[in-house]
Order: sequence, then C-alpha cells, then structure tokens
Amino acid sequence: MLFLQALTNGILLGGIYALYSSGFSLMFGVMGVVNIAHGEMIMLGAFITYWLFEIAKLDPFLSLPFSLAGLFALGYLLQRFIINRVADEPPIASYILTFGIHLVLANIALLAWTADPRTVTTTYSGANFSVIGIIIPYIKLVTFFIAVGVVGSLYWLLNHSRMGRAIQATAQDREMARLMGINVRQIYAVTLGIGAAITGLAGSFVVTFRHIEPGMGLPYTITAFCVVVLGGMGYIPGAIIGGLTLGVIGSLSTIFLTSGWSMAVTFFLLFMMLIFRPAGITGKGIVE
Amino acid sequence: MKKRLKTGLFPIVLALIFMTGSAQAAEELTFGTALPLTGLFGKGGELVRDAYTLWMETVNAKGGISGKYKIKIIIYDDQSNPQVSAKLIEKLVIQDKVDLLLGGYGSSQVMAASAAAERHKYPMISGAASSNKLFDRGFKYYFATLGKATDEVKGIVDVFASVVPKPKTVAIVGSNIPFTALACEGYKRAAKQNGLEVVHFELFPISLQDYNTMLLKAKAKNPDVLLVGSHLGVAMRVTKAMKEIDFNPKAVAFSYGPTIPAYIDGLKGDAEYMFAASEWTPNLPYNGPIFGSAADFNATYKKRFGRFPDYLQAATVGGAIVLQTAFEELGLKPGLGQADRERLMKKLHEIDMMTFYGQIHFGEDGANVAHPPVAVQVQDGKLVNIFPAEAAEAKPRYPMPAWKKR
Repeated sequence: MLFLQALTNGILLGGIYALYSSGFSLMFGVMGVVNIAHGEMIMLGAFITYWLFEIAKLDPFLSLPFSLAGLFALGYLLQRFIINRVADEPPIASYILTFGIHLVLANIALLAWTADPRTVTTTYSGANFSVIGIIIPYIKLVTFFIAVGVVGSLYWLLNHSRMGRAIQATAQDREMARLMGINVRQIYAVTLGIGAAITGLAGSFVVTFRHIEPGMGLPYTITAFCVVVLGGMGYIPGAIIGGLTLGVIGSLSTIFLTSGWSMAVTFFLLFMMLIFRPAGITGKGIVE
Repeated sequence: MKKRLKTGLFPIVLALIFMTGSAQAAEELTFGTALPLTGLFGKGGELVRDAYTLWMETVNAKGGISGKYKIKIIIYDDQSNPQVSAKLIEKLVIQDKVDLLLGGYGSSQVMAASAAAERHKYPMISGAASSNKLFDRGFKYYFATLGKATDEVKGIVDVFASVVPKPKTVAIVGSNIPFTALACEGYKRAAKQNGLEVVHFELFPISLQDYNTMLLKAKAKNPDVLLVGSHLGVAMRVTKAMKEIDFNPKAVAFSYGPTIPAYIDGLKGDAEYMFAASEWTPNLPYNGPIFGSAADFNATYKKRFGRFPDYLQAATVGGAIVLQTAFEELGLKPGLGQADRERLMKKLHEIDMMTFYGQIHFGEDGANVAHPPVAVQVQDGKLVNIFPAEAAEAKPRYPMPAWKKR
C-alpha cells in the first residue's frame, strides 16, 4: 500500500515536473538557450498568484491568465531586447547571460518582497479524495492534467500550426529560415514568451502547496535540467517522460532509502544519462 | 606672508578636527553584528535587526548607556553564509574597531561568527542560536540567552506526557541543518524520558522538493504525535503536505515556525491546533530594566513595528540588556581595550539578573541555565501559552481533529 501511494505521489509529482520543464526544453530546442533564469520564472508566476490572492482575494485558478500573460510578456521582452543580442554568439554567451538574468530577477524580487516565506491557503487547499485507499490531492491531480494538456498543446502547436512550423524551421536551420522570409528574432521572442508563460503557470500552482520566497528558483532550474536531460533536450513530449521517471524514482527512493538518498539518486541518474545516453531515455534529445 | 599664515593655520585646524573627532567618540558606544538579511534565513535576520533597533532606540531615548553613551550599531549582511559571517566579524573588529559585538541569527552563522569573536576576545551574546555544539567548544567569550536546542524542545514533549489520553508513539522528522537536527535529538531524548516510543526518525535535506512522500513514511507508522525539527519554511511545508496526504496524528509540534506571525497568516485555518516550542510568551510574569514587563515589551514592539515579537527577538533584546547592565556595573567607557573586554567577559559569567525575557544566568559554557522552556499552541487563530502549567493561558487542545473533520 505504501508502495502504491508512493508510486501515485511520484506520478503526480512527475506531472508538475513536466509542466515546469517543458518550457525549458522548448527554449533549448529552438534557440539553444539553457535558461538559468528558469526558476525565477516559476518564482514570478508564483508571486503573481500570491499577490492577486492577498490583494484582490483572487482565487489561484482565476489568477492563471494573469501569470500566463505576465510571464509571456517578460519572456518575450527578455528575448527580444536582451537574449537576442547573443543569438549569433557561441552558446556559452547565453548561459552567462541567463545566469545574470537569474541573479538580477532573484535579487530585485528579494529587495521588493523580502525573504519572508509566503503561501496561499484556500478553503480547498490540501483537499483530497481516495481511490482504493490511495489518497489523491485534488490540486495535484488538476496540475497533472494541465501538464499533460499543456505539453500536448505545445506539441500540437509546434507541428500543426503555422507559427509552430516557423518555430521548428528556425530551430532546424536559422539561416534557411531567414531566407524563407521568417523573422527569426521575432520567432525567438515568441518562443521564449511561450516557454516563460508555461513556466509561470507552473509557478501559480506551486504556491498553493508550498511556501514561496524570492530565492526559491535555483533548485527548480536544476530539476528542470534533470527532467529535460532524462526526457531528451528539445523533445517536448520527453518532458512528460523525464518528469514521470524522475518523480517516480525520487518517490520510491524516498520510501525505500531516505529522502536524502532520493536526491542523490536523482543526480546519479542525470550523471549516467549524460555519460551513456545524452539524447535521453527516448533517444530524441538534441545533443550538442 | 600667505605661506606662513597657512602653515600657522594648519596645526590649528588639525587640532580642531581631532578635538571634535574625539569628542564625538566619547559620546558613542559602537556595537557591530553580522545578520542574515538575505538568503535562507533572511526573515530571521531581519527580525533580529528590528530587535536590536528597538533596544538602541529605547536606550538612546533615555540618554544612552550609563545615561551618556549613545548606542550605534553597525549591521552587515552575512547572506545566511557562515564563512561570510566570520569574515564580517573580523571586519567589524579590525577595520571598524567596534567596542563590542552583538550576536547574530542562526546556529550555523553564529557558530562561525563566535569563533572569530573568541579569537579576538570579544564577548558575544546571542539570542537566536541554540545548537548544543555552540557550547561544546570551551569558549569563554560566547554566551546565549536561549536554552540549548535539545533543551528548548523538552517543554513541548513534556506537554504530551501530561495530556489525556497519554500518547504512546511519536514520529520525528526534521531538516538536516544544525538547529533542527539537534531539536530532533532533543525530541528523541525527551520522548525517552517521558516513556514515549519513537516509531520513526528521519532527517531530510533542506532542499527537499517533495514533502508528501517523506511524510508518508511517518504516516505509515501511525504515530500518535508528530514532532518536527523546523524553521518557518519547513513548518509551512510540513503542514500543507500533511493535509494533502491526509496524515492525522493526534498532535503536531514544531521546533520553530508557528511563533512567527507569517505562519498563521499564511496557513489560516490549517494552522489551528499546531504546537510549537518557545522560550518566551508575553503573558509570563517577568519584569526587568529598560522595558518593564514581558507584556510591556510586547506592546512596545507592536507599536514600533506593527507586529508582535516572537521569542527570538525577546531573547535577543534580553541579551543586549545583560551586556548593557554588565558594562554599566563595571563603569566602563567607550574606546574599550583588551583588558576592559576581559573584565566584561568575567562579569558576564557572574551576572544573574531578571529581565522582561526572564532570568538570565550564564553557566560555565555560556548557555543560559536559568531559563525554562515554554510551549505554545495555535488556538482560534492565536498563539497561547500552554506550558508550563503555572504560566499557561489555556489548556492544550488534544487530540487534533482529523483534517476532513475540521
């Protein structure tokens, strides 16, 4: 029973991982940008939901459009005016730049909001139901379905819409795409906007089941990195596979070993994957 | 002619500068401290800064220390990093040449900072660090107004030994950093003393992302009571996770967290029934210099900062008062030298005084041996003192109703 419950926890956790990692995968897949400021996008999404709840008493679910829009705008502007400037440089330039953005965002947030831990508690926080004795929290279940929906929509967008095909073309061959009349800088900006929006959405959910503070970003960036390496860098459906793998293995190691060991196992997996199969479990990741 | 005038004026001007300079120095007693204003313990550091600020303002309004020396405090941010904390102490001593040091926040930072202070033979009293290891180093210059971490949590476990029906089993979880790990050791010891069986014990990394599965293990053992080694963030997360996995022990106690107003504000109804260890509540019958009674301090603090103090701020100010008293009783002056600070250290080892925070008397290892632990519970959205029985404002509400029945 403990095993089944832990497995369920792991699967639900995997959904959350997938939700906040798919944006990371998208950014890398299309622009080769390893977004070290990724965790800050989660943090900002979480704070948008928090402040709307505190000030306007807005239910977290109703705040989702705001964090989507807000983070899309942030991502778009960041790429358009800042990250685009290193588009023609070697990838290391974007790592350094996004690291700088991570520091700037985290510290501005710290100055504005202090290090106080905050959280959102609604009447339905923590509410759960049980199925054959396994407890499933509602919010985590909803997050799971939204994750699947978002990843699915993203995949559909990339393969069946004009914008999506333009994004894929740009990812495959930037110069050729330019020759075909695609405004590459615009595509990059929109892509980062979409990636940031999805990530901000994840942040909005996160604030309901844990506390948030301006320095919370970096561990999420690291986890997103692990998820995406496991599932395949740049391969969007891989975010779900990587997320589930990490969630389940992490959960089961916590049960059979200890919580400290489960983190060691996570990083060990990442390590092994990078050495033996850098393209991820699915083999469809981009390897540079 | 001009040249001679200038050369003539020069020593006069220089003398004037020195005179005014030293005149100012005689009026001010400088203190220095390193606090975590950012980072993992940023919240705690800010609160300690507020505590020192209140002490400084209150004493200066009465004329200053010994009625004539205004307090000036130099505060540096150690970013919750122990190595940085130690370096900042060196800076305060060597570069800023402060007269005295004040203790910081957090066992990890204070451990490093006090080692630097000991090297330079500066007394340091902290009110916000309680790891037992702080006192095992044979230091003479380090003092703490808080009890040791393992003793701090004794009160709350004693509570559970006295409720009806008496619980039989406890589960202990906590984050794996100095204060909280020691609190868990303290829980274990106190549980044994009270005949409570420890059915689960786990320390988890502070960076743990998923609390649900970790707590699931505790839930599986079906303990009567859950004891948590926590700071504010961990306390919030454990509370939320417990509800999500429908973990219903008869009681939950935290080593730290619920005494900070943000806990109840953030968790609202979910905070109800939670217990916490404490060392001070405003209803205690304590009375002392500068601030008057515990209740007076509580009211003064609220007026100044718009929120109530928790026991760490009370302990911090208590420590400052003891330092001030020792300084005044020795009749010292600003511009302290090595010998003065040594006299101060010896005096601090002798002093035995009552303050709004309670009795303060330092043992040979620097720990406050005169201060009993206290326990509180969230009842109707407010913290009430439920232990020791003589000072209790209310009876503990036990057992806690299941989450779904609230």
